Amino acid sequence: MLSRTSLQFVPASTQVRGMATLKEISMRLKAVTNIQKITKSMKMISAAKYSKAERELKPARSYGVGAKAFYEKLEVDCEKHQANHLVVAISSDKGLCGAVHTSIFRAIRAMVGDKPASNIKVVAVGDKMKALLQKDFKNNLLMTMKDIGKSPPTFSDAAVVANQIMSCGYEFDSAELFFNHFRSIVSYNTTTIPLYSVGTISEADNITQYDSIDEDVLRNYQEFSLASLIYFAMKESACSEQSARMTAMESASKNAGEMIEKLQMTYNRTRQAVITRELIEIISGAAAL
Amino acid sequence: MTFWREAGLNYVRYSQICAKIVRQCLKADLREAAAKRNESTVKAVMWKDGKPVPAAK
Repeated sequence: MLSRTSLQFVPASTQVRGMATLKEISMRLKAVTNIQKITKSMKMISAAKYSKAERELKPARSYGVGAKAFYEKLEVDCEKHQANHLVVAISSDKGLCGAVHTSIFRAIRAMVGDKPASNIKVVAVGDKMKALLQKDFKNNLLMTMKDIGKSPPTFSDAAVVANQIMSCGYEFDSAELFFNHFRSIVSYNTTTIPLYSVGTISEADNITQYDSIDEDVLRNYQEFSLASLIYFAMKESACSEQSARMTAMESASKNAGEMIEKLQMTYNRTRQAVITRELIEIISGAAAL
Repeated sequence: MTFWREAGLNYVRYSQICAKIVRQCLKADLREAAAKRNESTVKAVMWKDGKPVPAAK
């Protein structure tokens, strides 16, 4: 691509193309400076939000770790393609945060394939996730949630999501939560947590290792762990989203700065050229007298 | 079977109601901050056959 363009004949007149008028350049300069101001302040905002999210993440993690360990220790061998499977994708409503949403979408697509079977249902938490999923998996969408990420997620938010999943009438045998696990300020990884229904749990081999568990206890725990895992996932993804937005806005401001520098140079050069031309005109005019 | 499950609640809903009552019992200065944790803005939209169902509760 690059070599092809360089082989093309470049007429001498194209040099004039770079010589935009002074007004055009100054307008462009002003626009880029404004954009930089916006991205800079967005970075500051998300930095503040990030520090809050990280502070809140630590206590929230304890909700997830226990429940996650329970499901992992069960070692259910799920025949994914026979039983009803539920995919819960946790993201948020807001963009401008790099590949946070698309990485979850890619993980889901890698899991279910391009043509998902009809026994897989998807729950999209967050408008951005909905927008991504409704293109390819609109027949598998079970429900979508909106108004996520305006304020830091609370347990009530997670409880609403969990309640909706339980009361929507779709009986899943196994489920998976997709979310971005926060690692550090510059990195997150998209992870999944398995989840099972009461029926699947009681059929698991390792459940016999637990003492004095009846149907009621198991059901209560399954419902509570669904809510707490969703809470954990929401907190993790909120924190990764803010950190990703911070990085994205920082690089945007940096790019804008570079652009401003280049434009400033062009502006000065053009101004110089205009002055020189005017001088030449005046002098040659005077000489002709 | 517990009484609240017979009333049609699940554990999450039941614990939500319990938490709400506990928060209401707090002292006045703490109650306001705690009351915010009761609320949730999340709205759900059901989908069927690739289209959102408008009449979601």
